[in-house]
Amino acid sequence: MTMATVEDRSREADGPWAVETHDLTKRFGDTIAVNDVELLVPRGCAFGYLGPNGAGKTTLIRVLLGLTHADAGTMSLLGHAVPRHRDRALARVGAIVDEPRFHRHLTGRQNLQILAAAREPAAKGRIEPALERVGLLHRADDKVSKYSMGMRQRLGVAACLLGDPQLLVLDEPMNGLDPAGMLDMRDMIKSLVSEGRTVVLSSHLLDEVERTCDAVAIVDRGTVIRQGPISQLLGGSSFEVQVECSDPDGAGRLLGGTAFGAHVQVGPDGLAVSLPEGTGRDAIAEINRVLVEGGISVYRLQHIQASLEDWFLSVTSRLGAPE
Amino acid sequence: MTTISDIGAPLPGPAPTTVPGETRGDHRGSMIPTWGMVTTRLMELRKRRGLMVALIAVNIGIPVVILAVRLIGHAVDPKSYGPAGGYSIFTTLVLGFMYVFGFIVAAVVGCTAGSDDLSDGMFRHLVITGRSRLALYLARIPAGLAIVIAMVAIGYTIVCAVCVFAAPTQFSYDGVIVPQGLSRPALDNWVAAHADEVICNFNYNGPSVPPNVPCGNGNGPAGPNSVVRTPQGTVVPVHPTQAQIRAFAVTMANQNYADYRATFLVPSTSLMIDVGLWIALEATIGFTVGLGLSSLMGQRTVPVILLVVLELILTPIFSRNVISHLVNVERGIVGVAMLHIEPGHLWALFSGGGPGGGGPGGLMLIPESTLAASLVIVGWLVFWTAIGAWRMMTRDA
Repeated sequence: MTMATVEDRSREADGPWAVETHDLTKRFGDTIAVNDVELLVPRGCAFGYLGPNGAGKTTLIRVLLGLTHADAGTMSLLGHAVPRHRDRALARVGAIVDEPRFHRHLTGRQNLQILAAAREPAAKGRIEPALERVGLLHRADDKVSKYSMGMRQRLGVAACLLGDPQLLVLDEPMNGLDPAGMLDMRDMIKSLVSEGRTVVLSSHLLDEVERTCDAVAIVDRGTVIRQGPISQLLGGSSFEVQVECSDPDGAGRLLGGTAFGAHVQVGPDGLAVSLPEGTGRDAIAEINRVLVEGGISVYRLQHIQASLEDWFLSVTSRLGAPE
Repeated sequence: MTTISDIGAPLPGPAPTTVPGETRGDHRGSMIPTWGMVTTRLMELRKRRGLMVALIAVNIGIPVVILAVRLIGHAVDPKSYGPAGGYSIFTTLVLGFMYVFGFIVAAVVGCTAGSDDLSDGMFRHLVITGRSRLALYLARIPAGLAIVIAMVAIGYTIVCAVCVFAAPTQFSYDGVIVPQGLSRPALDNWVAAHADEVICNFNYNGPSVPPNVPCGNGNGPAGPNSVVRTPQGTVVPVHPTQAQIRAFAVTMANQNYADYRATFLVPSTSLMIDVGLWIALEATIGFTVGLGLSSLMGQRTVPVILLVVLELILTPIFSRNVISHLVNVERGIVGVAMLHIEPGHLWALFSGGGPGGGGPGGLMLIPESTLAASLVIVGWLVFWTAIGAWRMMTRDA
């Protein structure tokens, strides 16, 4: 059998999605922490799972990983139904949930030995490479009680790598990391994705998610309200056009007589025109045409796309309003 | 709202490093723990320095110190200090100390093994491996027992060695040098020839008044003013004949014969094996119950306190006092059941203060058949293993 054939068969068995949930629900008494979640995480990408504090991000992850049971719905990891085939699904999953904690009286290496023993025999041979990859090899024989928070995060990632995972689920992996550590973590996530692994990143650090992830899902009060590739989500959102010109007041008057009039703000150096969702790029050309035909010299036109943070806040603030 | 179709087709995925079915091959869902799981769990417990110090101190350190002091004392002043070993020190050390405190330390190890993953945050990591939770639980049992039983075995071997090799050269029963292993008629003959010594030293618990003989000063037969104190505390002058003295000595010897037959210069090999297995079983129970209880409660401190109370307070009370409407509950206590299968009916110093099995003159254990006691012990082992495993399998991680 050729390698390609083996891979094809494996892909078919593992399913097309890294994570797939349908109507997934988890309750704690009267509180619904996860509410009919429909989530599809494509394979081989970095996927951000975003939400404000208490939105149910960690609960969903815990349900997916079998750390707690779901009250309703179905889910699968790498094509394996969970919890029915939990052992097969988790065999190729690595995860950090909440703050990574380990036996403090043991060294980093010894903690990994315990975890490797619970995995397949080959996992033992991955301890050294995993430690080296997260930059902990030189401190591997120190007790975890001497580790900083950032080092424990790295050890958590090393623990994830023991299973040679196709899917990594990282819950707030940037917590406790200094700027250099965050940069390293970002690079590591990108390198993992470049190897064809899927990384699900749960975070409230929107800037980090935007820099790292290809696609996101937004969760609020237990419900996934948006999901898709970041570029696609932001592409459909409002944006701003900044205009630097010779006569800002005159330009404001000119544009005030057009369809853009309601969205124009005049400043000392130029104009800012806010354009609603769904506005095409032709609107920018139209602004330029109106100003030039009005005898105003245009020095600069800049399309300012809303950031993920702006978009996230606009989406969640709408939902957060009293119903 | 963005729909599922907005996400598009899955991106080019990873080249899987495994072929289908490989994970099935590592028996990850099996309830049987792997050898590696057991050895790493053993390492995790072994590296707990405080726990190991306590374990070594109780099972090895304290018995060794006691024996060392006795050896030194006897070497320096043999007349004041008796031999370090022998039967009596064996029973006192093993049953009075190692048995009870071995249980408690084993329980502490069990409670640690049952709760450390939760308290240290490792339980979640282990569950995420996909390994059967039952296997994760069961791996703790051989690992913990390997430590506990090894410590018990080392300490017990040292005690046995000293008790055998540093034993007294003469057999002493109630302070009287008596030939060992006599039959009842032979003991009667010997006692008749040493009647005064026997009457002065042997325990007596009966209605008759012992004859008035001189004790301790070697002054010969009692004079008319000699007195003897009876168990009731009255003072009765007695002027017996030699025949009466011999007859009473024989009566006392007969009363003590069963205890004499169970007392030895050195513990026999079979007794040492039996007692060794018995204290190993007690340690196993302590570990298993501690493991199950701490897994159930998700913590270490309260289970340890509960088991100390069980061993040091409840078991001695319930083993000796029959509470009519609770007698079956008393029989169901594992410590009581363990006393019923105590090898050789030895003196359990910390388990009620009397000879187990209701030896002569001792306090009686509540009645329980050996079969019932055995079922209680097996029941405790199975119940606490099952309850701990169940909690492990259902607990949110």
